[in-house]
Amino acid sequence: MLLERFNDMHWGWLVYLEMFLAGVAAGAYMISALLEWLGRGRTPLARSAHALAFPLVAIAGLLLALDLTRPERFWHMVIQSETMLPMFKYWSPMSAGSILLLLFGGLTFVSFIDFLISRGLFRLGPWNQDRTLHGSLLGGIWMVVGGLVGVGIAAYSGVLLSATNVPGWDSTLIGALYVATAALTGVAALLLIQTVRGLIDADALALAATHVWLIVWWLVVLVAFLATLGQNIGFLLHGVALIGLIGAVILGAVVPLLWRFGGPRFQGLLLPALSTLLGGFLLRMAIVVGPPGGR
Amino acid sequence: MADAMGFFTDTTVCIGCKACEVACKEWNQLPATNGGQNTLSGVSYDNTRKLDGTHWRHVKFIEDLSQDRSQSAWHLMSDVCKHCVQAACLDVCPTGAIIRTEFDTVVIQADVCNGCRDCISACPFDVIGINDATGTAQKCTLCYDRMQSGLTPACAKACPTASIQFGPIAELRQRADARVDQLHGQGQTNAYIYGKEDMLGGLNSFFLLMDAPEKYGLPAHPQLATVRNVPSWIWSAGSAVVAGVIGLLTLRKSRMDRFAAERASTEPEA
Repeated sequence: MLLERFNDMHWGWLVYLEMFLAGVAAGAYMISALLEWLGRGRTPLARSAHALAFPLVAIAGLLLALDLTRPERFWHMVIQSETMLPMFKYWSPMSAGSILLLLFGGLTFVSFIDFLISRGLFRLGPWNQDRTLHGSLLGGIWMVVGGLVGVGIAAYSGVLLSATNVPGWDSTLIGALYVATAALTGVAALLLIQTVRGLIDADALALAATHVWLIVWWLVVLVAFLATLGQNIGFLLHGVALIGLIGAVILGAVVPLLWRFGGPRFQGLLLPALSTLLGGFLLRMAIVVGPPGGR
Repeated sequence: MADAMGFFTDTTVCIGCKACEVACKEWNQLPATNGGQNTLSGVSYDNTRKLDGTHWRHVKFIEDLSQDRSQSAWHLMSDVCKHCVQAACLDVCPTGAIIRTEFDTVVIQADVCNGCRDCISACPFDVIGINDATGTAQKCTLCYDRMQSGLTPACAKACPTASIQFGPIAELRQRADARVDQLHGQGQTNAYIYGKEDMLGGLNSFFLLMDAPEKYGLPAHPQLATVRNVPSWIWSAGSAVVAGVIGLLTLRKSRMDRFAAERASTEPEA
């Protein structure tokens, strides 16, 4: 592997912001899938996930398109420009990711509409406030697909980085780390929303426990990922990447855990949730900008 | 399908004239760097510095001095896209812009590429770059347009010492092996071919080198980037399973607690 690369990919803030937002959307949707299977698809917590996922993934898709040097050709990702047939190469992580984003956009859009209908904002024939998708048998089936596609969204950008010849990304664990980060930040985003909305019910309190255990899992995968890099770990341990990595660990794990177990003086879920979100964002940034070619 | 075609670059006879670079730029109408206001790199006679979207040939000047400067070697090498049989750029390209031609070469279609830059990161040889004039990723096409007309690529045509040889791969490999044998016979036992069939299925642009690949800025063991796909997806799925189990256990407990509380509140007091 060439340790010095002259041609930059120029994958910068648009890319890591996209990874972060898509990860939050995927994580939140994965949680809503679990809630659906546990018979709680209509709870305020699940509804917050339905409301959150689509707007975030829509912004993420827009950021990806803007990052292209020829953004007007974004549709070449999913349609062959000459034949107008679908474009799909399962062995190309970016192609697979584009199709997954399209699917995820569709799935979360329906859940978003279901959220609006559940609020009584409008109805579409038999699809009304009393008969929503989520919380029904069809909702359970819907979220089987939704949960799996959500995992794909959480993973693909990490798999994409590992399928390069860039030192610092040459680990098969980036995808696993990205999935853990997506789950963690998705949970944090939901906790933040529930706190701001004043909806700290039993589900939200249970999710706070999920948050703690996911932090532990995230740390395990992060350490394993760094260990797999060998001597190429140096690309993540310098400059902005190092600051990002340290910030990610402190804000993503140390602060929320200290807050959680800091005794009665440290109450509330707002700060640990916010801190985790910032930590997750910094991790995405560190991994993208560290190796040669990232910006 | 036509014969597989390619380049055999014999670095031992390269004189560093850069005729290949000029011919390539001229034929392919590639713009000059910085409008022709290039600065000197300070690295020997090499001011091109790299292969990228507007430099599809690059003559390297490698001044190899020992620590005490008592021994020296000056390696010259005209570098180019390797047109790998197992091409990582072609594998990862999400738009189908990168194709394999009837000559077994690898070409980026500028009218299809949308500039995602995934191919740049996948190339093990750091060959591809963005051409700012088109906003797309570009690299050597092995003069696809000339080949379709039965012509020799511009660089090989211009090379005054036959360092760059063009032809059917099978014939070039025979010629390269003969040249290595000749050099070995002359006592130059460090001569070898870089890019045989065991390297990414064979490089359709291969080289006769006189020192380790790293000396020439080439990777010793180039890898197909997508070999990490399957393990990456598997580890990702494993991570998702663990996260899912954590979610199920923690959220399930809450459900049980809630049911217990509901039951306690509905049961009549003893």
